[in-house]
Amino acid sequence: MIESEFAQVAIKLVLLALVSLLIPASYRVIVGTTLPDRLQAVDLITTLLIGIIVMLALVEGTQGFVDMAIALAAFAFVGTISIARYISEGRAF
Amino acid sequence: MLLELLGVVALLFGLFFCGVGVLGVIRMPDALTRLHASGKVATLGLFGLLVGAALLMPAASLRILALGLFVLLTSPVATHAIAASVYRRQEILEELFEMRDEQVDVTAVDVSGILSRSLIQDIIEAQQRTHRPTEGGPTSNDN
Repeated sequence: MIESEFAQVAIKLVLLALVSLLIPASYRVIVGTTLPDRLQAVDLITTLLIGIIVMLALVEGTQGFVDMAIALAAFAFVGTISIARYISEGRAF
Repeated sequence: MLLELLGVVALLFGLFFCGVGVLGVIRMPDALTRLHASGKVATLGLFGLLVGAALLMPAASLRILALGLFVLLTSPVATHAIAASVYRRQEILEELFEMRDEQVDVTAVDVSGILSRSLIQDIIEAQQRTHRPTEGGPTSNDN
């Protein structure tokens, strides 16, 4: 756990700011005019979610959240690559 | 104490680039320029956050740096794949419009959710059928 009060407050504020950044990012998913725009916004949201999970690991003081973030990064990479190929070529693999 | 101060500074650096990237994704006019903004979130923003987290929690710093290395390797590849799909889609649309000898701004055509070439062709024909009477250009002749 982090001892100093200053670092704890800063971590919680950064976590709050990252969660509030999800709202404008999901605006682009809903409004975005074409399909690659939506895919790109979903990729942005998963990147923000990895940051949020790491911040949660800092707040809770447990290392297990970092493993969750690694798994999310791996699956997000595979998903983004396959959907991008699906858009450009009409089939995923 | 110094380590925590450095960690908080790195966290604020990453948060700044996350905010700038999301702002760019909202405000930029084109898909490719938006990709430029969202690529910064993955490399500078998230890597700054991870360096800050590794400085603040030294017990888990090895895992966090492994995650950072993985993100630093994979996210440019994903961004490049999205950019290639945008470019390929614009190529298909330009080809389809050249067959009709029409000058159309390809990036403004809304074909969201359309994947294959024949489906794009069907949608463009349907859109032109609905838009033709309202435009009233010299090429519109009712028969």
